[in-house]
Amino acid sequence: MKTMEVRLNVNGEAKQWTVAPGDLLLDVLRREGYFGVKRGCEAGECGACTVLLGGKPINSCLMFAAQAEGAEVLTIEGVAHGDALDRLQEAFLDHGAVQCGFCTPAMILNAKALLDRKPHPSEEEVREALAGTFCRCTGYQKPVEAVLAAARGLAR
Amino acid sequence: MFDTVESFYRPGSVREALRLLQNGKNRARIVAGGTDLVVEADRTIRVLIDITHAGLSYIRRKGKACVIGATTTMATIENSPAIRALAGGVLARAAATCGSVQIRNMATLGGNLANGSPAADTAAVLLALDAEVVLADARGRRQIPLVDFYSGPRKSAAGKVLIVEVAIPALPRGGRWSFQKLGRTENDISLVNAAAGLQLDSKGRVRWVRIALGAVAPRPMRAVNAEKLLVGRQVDESALAEVCDEAAREARPITDVRASAEYRRETSRVLVRRALEECAAGTGCSL
Repeated sequence: MKTMEVRLNVNGEAKQWTVAPGDLLLDVLRREGYFGVKRGCEAGECGACTVLLGGKPINSCLMFAAQAEGAEVLTIEGVAHGDALDRLQEAFLDHGAVQCGFCTPAMILNAKALLDRKPHPSEEEVREALAGTFCRCTGYQKPVEAVLAAARGLAR
Repeated sequence: MFDTVESFYRPGSVREALRLLQNGKNRARIVAGGTDLVVEADRTIRVLIDITHAGLSYIRRKGKACVIGATTTMATIENSPAIRALAGGVLARAAATCGSVQIRNMATLGGNLANGSPAADTAAVLLALDAEVVLADARGRRQIPLVDFYSGPRKSAAGKVLIVEVAIPALPRGGRWSFQKLGRTENDISLVNAAAGLQLDSKGRVRWVRIALGAVAPRPMRAVNAEKLLVGRQVDESALAEVCDEAAREARPITDVRASAEYRRETSRVLVRRALEECAAGTGCSL
């Protein structure tokens, strides 16, 4: 099997990984221990594998690891600030916006990308930002409330 | 899943991408956003050529025309002030329905066309805008109408050639536009989509019209007979009924897991009507 080197930045740390040319970013991130990147449908439908690439949410199941050369990747593992949770994470806890937790990393990363770009989103904009992340516990209302509450907190 | 892939290239220019494509024979594939290619999981692929660094991500106004580089993402298109100002923002609206936020950050305009799906959301709009595609291969570049780019379901000229950009010509003055889509959700694949463009003369008669439909034929299509029926007429109730009937007749839908042929045909009629009504409302024509 031929291999190649990929240099990228994950959660603020420079990494150099040996990958196969056909490896998907999802598989490589999980192989390297980023288990917050969830393996769901592997077809770009469910959004559970979402990471931020240069600040924008993408489905890591649809991207080759080789395409992340030189990129800045943020996974859920990099969202907290040391021991202090991010305001979005706190808001998800406060609002009980978590059931089984499988979609939660993707919900929070999509919400973070939205708030970084637009600190005061409307409810409609929050719903649109979360539309690509499926929750099979049927818990959309609380995540939406949590994101809106976090946005209000950010405004202070 | 892609353990058969032996090489991954990231060429910095179209010339280099074409050289790699030629060297790879039939076992090399172009990848950009990957949102279709990865799902397709073609195990014959040995060489992947990522063109997202080949200088094809741009939106440029050329006088009254507009060109969009092939690797421009749906997210870029939906947020571009130039595209939002073009034809009432109809292409921006279509791009905004083209999958989830994550998909739109990855999927590219060239990929939406190269994939060859008759349901591609941008294809119907681009047909209504008389768009052309610029293709490149080892022999050079050529520009062809989008309507000639498709040869059948999921069959397009892409493969041996590379889509360089999409060119949208100067549009009729005072034209009005609409994009209509029916899917399970706003961001899901279209069961049927429709786009229309309308220009009226000073007496309120139709001078120019485009009616395009997606997911109702082997390739994205223009309802040219329906268009002809409307030219020279007022957009009134009887003309609309006739034209929408004709568009539905021109559709050649199939039954698949998402919808029946009958349902798609009926939906074509409804979406063409909505599209033309939206255009007519924009031109100040009272229905």
